[in-house]
Formats: sequence, structure tokens, C-alpha cells
Amino acid sequence: MSNCAVEVKNMTKVFSRGLKKSDYVVAVDNLSFEIGAGEVYGLIGPNGSGKSTTMKVALGLMAPTTGSVKVFGFDSGDIRARNEIGFLPENPYFYKHLTGAETLKFYGKLCGFSGGELKDRISELLELVELEGAAKRRLGGYSKGMLQRIGLAQALIQRPRLVILDEPTAGVDPLGSRQIRDLILKLKEDGITVFLCSHLLEQVQEVCDRVGIIFEGRMRREGPLAELIQINEQTSMTFAGAKPHFLAKVRDLIEAESEVTIVDEGHPKTTLERLFISLSQSEQEEEEK
Amino acid sequence: MVIASSSVTQLVRMKTFYFLLAFAAIIVVLMSLNPPTTPAGVLSTIKRISFGTMDIFAWLFAIVSTALLIPKDIEDRTLYTILSKPVRRIEYLIGKLLGVLFVIAVSLAVMYGICALALFSRESLYIAEELGAMQAGAQYSTEEVEAQIALIQQQGLRVELGIAVLASFLKAAVVASVTIFLSTFASSSLFSIIISVLIFIIGHAHTMATSFWLYQTDNNLLVELLLKCVKIFIPNYQLYSFSHGIIQGEAVAYPLVWQMTGLTGVYLVVFIFLSLLVFIDKEF
Repeated sequence: MSNCAVEVKNMTKVFSRGLKKSDYVVAVDNLSFEIGAGEVYGLIGPNGSGKSTTMKVALGLMAPTTGSVKVFGFDSGDIRARNEIGFLPENPYFYKHLTGAETLKFYGKLCGFSGGELKDRISELLELVELEGAAKRRLGGYSKGMLQRIGLAQALIQRPRLVILDEPTAGVDPLGSRQIRDLILKLKEDGITVFLCSHLLEQVQEVCDRVGIIFEGRMRREGPLAELIQINEQTSMTFAGAKPHFLAKVRDLIEAESEVTIVDEGHPKTTLERLFISLSQSEQEEEEK
Repeated sequence: MVIASSSVTQLVRMKTFYFLLAFAAIIVVLMSLNPPTTPAGVLSTIKRISFGTMDIFAWLFAIVSTALLIPKDIEDRTLYTILSKPVRRIEYLIGKLLGVLFVIAVSLAVMYGICALALFSRESLYIAEELGAMQAGAQYSTEEVEAQIALIQQQGLRVELGIAVLASFLKAAVVASVTIFLSTFASSSLFSIIISVLIFIIGHAHTMATSFWLYQTDNNLLVELLLKCVKIFIPNYQLYSFSHGIIQGEAVAYPLVWQMTGLTGVYLVVFIFLSLLVFIDKEF
């Protein structure tokens, strides 16, 4: 990959658990992967598989025991790498005493913004995450979804080229979760690289271009999402407006072939989440009328 | 500076300035008391209690607020979002320290203002009363009247009292730097608070430790090692008690004040450097 946003090369992270040299745990074991610029990459795995450790190393919050992690060519511990990164931790608790606008101002100033430029950027981000109405409210009164969205706004304050999201929709209701997903897709449209960890596999599937599956610190499978999830030996066709006699003809055709069998037949299903969202939206439209 | 101003906002919104109301209440109570003593004695009492309260506030606030700020940021994961921005760890540490010191400085200034106002009003009242009483009797010479007024003025409001406030601030700055060092590796705020208070207490036994070290020849190895540790690693808080004399109306030894300011600077640099040594490679 020539245009690399994140380059993890043979990264191992070992934590000692006691004073004895033999008492240690390998959190990440010889991990290697790359995230191309502009890609949405999802790292999935069970709890304790090494996802968060990998993210923390990429953020410079931890150093790898061996191997290297580079962000846009800079070592992850280099402060220049952090100019390019926006980070949203899992369940972020920002300073509760600050308002939404003050929070963005604080993080903006940390990134060297000031004056009118910072003010404009704050308004732009509040609009992006749909929190203009809550800009002057202290974060202590924000819901989990609102906190997650202000967290995403702070991650974007310095116009980073890479956004790292740790469980971005954890504990958020389906509507809030949808908003965050839409924001991730918007980031992708804007050419921003997204590196996310999530337990919610369906959501990962919806937004990611490539996925890595990590287990016990090792990468088990990795590649473009479409390739990873397709079942190569099966083919599906979805018809619209198919009458019973047409379906009977198709079945006859298939039965005539000895090597082909019908594995499944029925109507395609929506997800419970999509159903919930469409119901909520129609309820809202009804109320507005 | 961004982290420092954010720490100030955090401490202000944690309603730390409510302490000032308590201090004002102490002053009001002191002003309403009329102990059976000379006017100079009353003024001396007001000063001792007020400056003692200011000193306690300064070092206690330095310990508690510094011990709370960093562990809270770690616990709330706010530190992750701060350190994942282009912020150097030393900037974060110094920012937190400066925030605490700014709040202490403002609080001390306000408390000094309240105290100065109380002293000035009492002093003016006593001088007027003394003058009135002495002139009514007409049995005292001008020299005697002037001596009596000078005695009251010595215990009243003097510019030099500002140096006593500075001494409290300098001591609190050292206490805060020690606490910030402890909180870089402490597992909890409580640990930092307890150890800082212990260091504060031991720091007041510095002279005792030094004289033991210098003059006692039959110390066993353990005692000697302990005394050397106290001498080297624990700041000498006793040195800051030079302010007691100023509060009692003694003259200010300015070379000593400069020396103490310099020493405070050295303590701050040493403890920030030690904190950075721990914090720079700390993993979160």
C-alpha cells in the first residue's frame, strides 16, 4: 500500500503482571496491518483481544514492546503524528463543568487554534454533529448519544486526516447510533481515514471498507469486507415482481442441474434496527403533520 | 496555558472559592471579639489567626487539588483525548501545576485583602481611641503618645505583611510540585494526599533531622540512611516559617526573601523534572 495512513509492523505489546520476569501477558502478538488513506477500517475481536491496546499504541499513549506503528509516516510516539489524529475513546467523559462549545474551544486551543478561526470551526462542528441547540449546556447534562457526538466533534477539531474511534456507538440508542454511523460515512466522503473498533458487527459491516479480526492479540483474518464475508461457493439472486409460475420455472431449471441445490428460499428481510428507525421516522413525520 | 486556564475553570466550578466565604466568616468572628488585652495584642491575635488560616488553606488546597486533578483525568479518560492531541506531556504537567498555583495566588490575594481591610479598620479605631483617651487625660507626653501609636501600628496593617503571604504561596507551590510528582505514579488520589501530608509534616522536622545527622555520631546505619533521605529528598518547609516574625511585626530580611524565592524555584524545577521522568513514559 503506497498511501498509508496507519502502518502497523510486527507490533508486539507485553504487559508485566508482577515483579517476576516470567509473570507477563502478551496483549498483542506480532500484529501487522495497514490502513490506506481515506479508508474506513474496522478492527473487531472479543474483549481482551488487543484492540484497545493497538489503538493506544497508534495514539502514542503506549509504546510497542517490539515492532513499530506509524501514522502518515511518523512514529506514533512523535507529536507530529498526533497533529493528524482525532480520537474518540469509548464512553468519553469530558470535563463535565464545561459546556459543549467550551469543550470544543478547549480542544481547539490545544491544537493551536484561536480567534475567529476557532469560533468558525466550533460552529461548523456543532452543526455537523447537530448540537447547536445544546452548545451552551454543560456536558454534565448531556445524554450518552450527545456526549458521543460532542466527542466526535472534538476529535475532528483540528481537521485530522485520521480519526480513531473506540466503540463509537457503545451505549447509544439506535437513532443516536445511526447519526454516528452517518457521520462516519460523511467523514469517508470527505476523504478522512477512519480506524474503528466495535463489538457491533452489523455496524462495522455497514461502514467499513476493510476489516481485521483480532483474537488473543493475533490477526486471524484481514481484508476488504466484501471479500471476507462472501461465501464463494454459493450465489444469491433477488427478484422483484416474480410470479409463482416464474419461480416454478426457475426451480425446475435448478432441479435439472445435478450439481446445483437450493440452499435457501424466501423473502429478503430487513434488520430490526432499520425497522425501528423507519417506524420512528414515520412517527415523527406524523407528529409534525 | 490552555491546560492551566482549563484547570482554573475546573477548580472554580468545583466551587473551591467557597473557602473564601469561610475565611471571611472567621474574620467577622475575630472582629466581633473583644479579648481583655491591649489593642496591639488584639491586632496581633487577628493577624496570627488570619495568616495561619491562609497558610493552612494554601498548603491543604495545594495538596488536595493537585492530587485530584491528574488521577481524575486518567479515571475519566479525559487524559486520553488531551494527550492524543499535539500536547507534550510536560505541557500537561506544567499546565495543571500553574492552574492550581493561579487559584492559590488569587485566593491568597483575596484573603489578604479581607484581612487587610479588617486590620486597617481595627487599627484606625484603636489609634483614634488611644489618641482620644490620652489627650483627654493630658497626662502623657507627645513621645509617650507616639510610642503607644507606634506599638499599635507595628501590629497593624503593614506593607511587609505581603511578604508573609508570599511565603505561604511559595510553600504551597513546593507542596503542589511534590504532590504532582506523587500523582504521576500513585494509584489513587488518596495515596497522593496521605503521602503529601506526611512529607509536609516530615518537611517541618528538617532542622531536627539535619542536626541529628551532623552532631549525632552513634546513629545506626538505618537511622542515618533515613535522615539522609529526609535531608535530600524532602523539602525543608521549616525555612518558610520566616514569615512568623513578619506577622509579629519584625523587620523583613529581604535577602532571605530572595533566597527563599530562589530555593522555591529550585524545588519546583527538581520536582517537575522528577515528575516528567515518570510521566513521559507512563502508559495509559
